[in-house]
Amino acid sequence: MGVERQGYEGALGRRHVLRGGAAMAALGGLSACAGGRVASAPGPVNGPMVSAGNRPHLVPMRVSPDQLIDMKCCIRPLRAAGPNLGTQMVGDTLVVHNYGHGGSGWSLSWGSAEVAVGKALSVLPSEIAVVGCGIIGLTSAVVAQRAGLKVTIYARDIIQRTRTFRASGSFTPDSRVCLSEPAGPGFGDLWEQMARLSWKGFRSMLGLPGEPVVFADSYNVSDVPIVKHVEHPDPAIKGAWQPGGLPLQNSEFGKYGDRIKDIVPQSQPLSAEENPFAMPYATRVSQMHFNFPSYAHLLLTEFFQRGGLFVERDFNDPSQYGQLREKVVINATGYAARDLWRDNTVIPVRGQTGWLVPQREANYSVRFKNAMLMSKADGVVLMNNPVELGEMFGVGDSMELPDKGPLLEVLKIMEPVMAGLARRA
Amino acid sequence: MRAWVLGAAALGLGLAAAQGSAAGPATGAATGTGAGVYTEAQAAEGAAIFAERCAMCHGKQAEGTWEVPALKGRFMANWGHGTLAALSDYLARAMPQFAPGTLSQEDNVRLVAFLLKTNGHRAGAKPLSADHAALAGITLDAVPAGAVK
Repeated sequence: MGVERQGYEGALGRRHVLRGGAAMAALGGLSACAGGRVASAPGPVNGPMVSAGNRPHLVPMRVSPDQLIDMKCCIRPLRAAGPNLGTQMVGDTLVVHNYGHGGSGWSLSWGSAEVAVGKALSVLPSEIAVVGCGIIGLTSAVVAQRAGLKVTIYARDIIQRTRTFRASGSFTPDSRVCLSEPAGPGFGDLWEQMARLSWKGFRSMLGLPGEPVVFADSYNVSDVPIVKHVEHPDPAIKGAWQPGGLPLQNSEFGKYGDRIKDIVPQSQPLSAEENPFAMPYATRVSQMHFNFPSYAHLLLTEFFQRGGLFVERDFNDPSQYGQLREKVVINATGYAARDLWRDNTVIPVRGQTGWLVPQREANYSVRFKNAMLMSKADGVVLMNNPVELGEMFGVGDSMELPDKGPLLEVLKIMEPVMAGLARRA
Repeated sequence: MRAWVLGAAALGLGLAAAQGSAAGPATGAATGTGAGVYTEAQAAEGAAIFAERCAMCHGKQAEGTWEVPALKGRFMANWGHGTLAALSDYLARAMPQFAPGTLSQEDNVRLVAFLLKTNGHRAGAKPLSADHAALAGITLDAVPAGAVK
């Protein structure tokens, strides 16, 4: 309930600013409910109902192709067994791995860093190296510094040019994080530990200048009733992932979100009175997302203020880790680990985003059919992810060039949604 | 500078026949790329392969993008002082990223020749061998300051 309240008040808050105090007064009364109420939709959370003319007001996003300023494509490093947090010796150097987080690298970054740095600390080093400067590497470096270590990052790119910056940037801690069978029953506990710790890490960054971490309302709208999708194995598909291969269907992916639903807002159906869209069905969830530029700035600032060193270099063989001055190395090389560490258990999962000119006045996300718009400080993210393909979309695809067609399609799909909002405004 | 380029191109015409046999195995005394370890013809063939298989990501001039590494300039910082075997092995394992392992070793070596030329390493009279031991005996030297354009 508290979750729903948060999202509801967020939307009201903006309307209140826009339309003044009269909006609050209009919350009283009105029992008329237009058709299209989602089954079992709860009433408004704070007692009074909202009149049809005073439903939460959302500014329509401009969804014209001239607003498209960027396209990004990246590969999620999925490992069937989940992220590699193992250790190995290279000569006399301890390498602690921290890579292969699939579509959950951002979301698990603090917790995963805690695990990796903990292992590094166990040999009582005074200094360590981190290889890689994506979100996993940089967070690991900062966590190690907070633990009192001197840290040097060796990487071919600084975070702004890594795959990290080509994510969409919302809290999705079990997106392509593993396949449940090969990950085994023990992985859920590790995942939960990392997810909960990460959540606390992000909470500690809310409200900071530049808004590195924010919550915003995310809507799912539909012209047919919205039902929660549950993955069942398709009996027509024989077999499953084998070492060196790919998953064959969605039900193979590990899903652990229910473990943390006590703290993470869950999707709520909206009554017709609460639904700001001219669509019969809608749900809303308060979604955490990350604003890449300010987040990276914040982490880099802390890293350098704590005396961190950054060395731009590439590695082409694991033996080079043994040649580093530091005798403890955290390996946070993401998808690059597939080649560098010859780890062919890393499965590429392609994803792409388009970016519209930032529209800060339209501070929400919306999904309709396969299309998703997410308004962030550095732009409105476009995604086109076929619902029926789910987690399998992009699996095995290592083509990292963006394809503009599906992104333009998002704009087309969203045109009527935004036109409907404009009519209601 | 132009003279040796033209001369080397002429000498490189016999490339196909010489491929794979020109350079012997590593002797332990490493050669540097400054000695002129590929031919112009190899680099030209490499350029054609590059245009077809690499340029869509790395750019027509190998200039790279914000996300994709340039294959000149900064490329030297990543690969300099390593061996050509390391570079060739990487191409064989990891490139092109959308279809790794689909280039023949001969084509990989032509790409290495193209990359050397692109980065200002001069061509020579002998083609670069596809032999791994031979490649392992050649170090990627820094580009002579006077050759940086």
